[in-house]
Amino acid sequence: MNSVIFLTIVLLALSSYFFGRKKAILIQSNKRLTALPKFYGYYLAIWCGAPAFLLYALWSIFEPSIVRFFILSDYSSQGLLEGELNLFYEKVKSLSRNQYSGELTAELQRSAEKYLNFRDIAKWSKVVIVLSLLIASTGYAYTKISNNTKTREPVEIFLKGVFFLSSLAAILTTIGIIFSLLFQTIEFFQVIPLFDFVFGMHWYPAKAFVRDASEALDPSMYSDTFGAVPIFAGTFFIALIAMCVAIPIGLLSGIYMAEYASKRLRQYAKPVIEILAGIPTVVYGFFAALTVGPFLKDLGLSLGLEVSAESALAAGGVMGIMIIPFISSLSDDVITSVPQNLRDGSYAMGATKSETIKRVIIPAALPGIVGSILLGVSRAIGETMIVVMASGLAANLTLNPLESTSTITAQIVVILIGDQQFGDPKTQAAFALGLSLFIVTLVLNIVALSVVKKYREKYE
Amino acid sequence: MNKIEAKNVDVYYGAKQALFDINMDIEANKVTALIGPSGCGKSTFLRCLNRMNDVIDICKVSGVVKINDYDINQKDTDVVRLREKVGMIFQKPNPFPKTIYENISYGPEIHGIAQSKSEMDNIVEESLRKAALWEEVKDRIHEPGTGLSGGQQQRLCIARTISIKPEVILMDEPCSALDPIATAQIEELIDELRKEHTIIIVTHSMSQAARVSQNTGFFHLGKLIEVGSTDKIFKNPTQQQTQDYITGRFG
Repeated sequence: MNSVIFLTIVLLALSSYFFGRKKAILIQSNKRLTALPKFYGYYLAIWCGAPAFLLYALWSIFEPSIVRFFILSDYSSQGLLEGELNLFYEKVKSLSRNQYSGELTAELQRSAEKYLNFRDIAKWSKVVIVLSLLIASTGYAYTKISNNTKTREPVEIFLKGVFFLSSLAAILTTIGIIFSLLFQTIEFFQVIPLFDFVFGMHWYPAKAFVRDASEALDPSMYSDTFGAVPIFAGTFFIALIAMCVAIPIGLLSGIYMAEYASKRLRQYAKPVIEILAGIPTVVYGFFAALTVGPFLKDLGLSLGLEVSAESALAAGGVMGIMIIPFISSLSDDVITSVPQNLRDGSYAMGATKSETIKRVIIPAALPGIVGSILLGVSRAIGETMIVVMASGLAANLTLNPLESTSTITAQIVVILIGDQQFGDPKTQAAFALGLSLFIVTLVLNIVALSVVKKYREKYE
Repeated sequence: MNKIEAKNVDVYYGAKQALFDINMDIEANKVTALIGPSGCGKSTFLRCLNRMNDVIDICKVSGVVKINDYDINQKDTDVVRLREKVGMIFQKPNPFPKTIYENISYGPEIHGIAQSKSEMDNIVEESLRKAALWEEVKDRIHEPGTGLSGGQQQRLCIARTISIKPEVILMDEPCSALDPIATAQIEELIDELRKEHTIIIVTHSMSQAARVSQNTGFFHLGKLIEVGSTDKIFKNPTQQQTQDYITGRFG
């Protein structure tokens, strides 16, 4: 039913475009219009579609709670708890769908009938009211169309509103996510002291297994459990290994592509590098876990070194390979966009190609290059799959790349896989980690922007 | 005495021929102006003189270009040494994204001219003085060269070029992006520079050619139509086409 109403609104709005335009064209035959006929069409289409759609959307949002209110109003005087009312209402709904298998009471039956009744009324009145609003607003706008109706301005205002709402939606969701992280994190820190989280040296979330509710609020349960130092250290350590692989290779290959490679080679090689960026991280993950990890272990054995099969080196190295195409492709782009006249200027001074690249092109492209590197770093810090698969889940505090270590993202996965319940510090720890991760990447982005800005001031 | 002698120079961009059999001699310590309508090949010819056409993949140059009696189009010519001797100023000022000081010190550094910091300081100051820019920038030589005005930027590029004491300076419409006052300053500078350098300037402005040059070559459709002293070209050209262009009948 809903989709039928929606389609009807869309179709009517589309056809009213043609009516509006046609009327304008008729007027045009003896009077001068203030706008092109198509604006009259848009004008009528907006008047036809927008109010009806708005009402339809609002109705759909509020209908369920209004129906619920009417059904439950019969029982409001009985002093039931909120939870009991919810349960009752769920029973009513499943009975009305004939999916109820519990005990039938007269109350339940009566309410289910009432519910069905209400839904029916709501459904038909929605159709009638939405369509009559549509007809009314279209008719109003249609009669208003004359040679000097202002149509261009309302259309522009409407479009401006659409753009504004789109950006508002993006911003509001972001804010919503941040707040949900924030609230859970605050609850987490009411049980676990912030100091223990930030400076604690032990991370064993499995220890915080709560058997009953009385235990959940006992802080002694959680001492030496949620110390985030090992996983922060692991995160930065693995990211560092990744960047040690990605920055030199990515940057040099970007420079090669931009400055040295022939047009033909570039034409084929560049898409190949970009395909590399499209490989799902889970594929890199099992490459790291099944190929690189065991290879490093065997190599270590033959050299007499003890290498864990799930080493930070394997995860970081493969992560670095994953990031190469980002840095290479982006720095290629920024280097290519350095104006040719700077190169000419340098060559005309008798500089060689490598001198020109080192002393003129790289400095000119530096803001973009720094930007691409920092983008790579945020990816390395936020990367999950490779770490989960290749670097193990035990949060060791180590600086030995041959041992296994864990990261923030991997620990969030560990915590949220399997059974978990809300309000449990173990679950909330995931939110605290998520928020920390968010803050780290935010700071990184701010630093990146300011670095880029500083160099841009210097170089432009 | 002829500084540069071009003989039978042909230039192709891919399949399209841009210059046809150019023969031209250029005198030392004089300003030679190359004039002609857009697309006539005057800039292409200029770029043959320091092999800047090498930078363009599809560009092919044949013929002989002798500088100091040495053919620069030979296979084993060291273009780094060539461009050290033959500097170039471009249409749009192109200071490097570095400080004013670093812009000037770039050339001496890559060619290993200065042995010490104080020697470098001297080169920078001397170059800026010769480019008539020193008084304007002496208090801010460690600020970005890109922060200067268009005319100052172009003089910075001239200072950068003369820092390595080239024998020849090629100028490709050096004033086309500048206002009249900046243009006048550059023209004055060109006359000054002629004492130590041989200058070849491509220009769209015939009045500029008349003001700054001693010799003029007129190009049309990839051919050198006429070359001679500026006085003669402007007052008494032998070719009808030159006459027409000078008097503004086309171009």
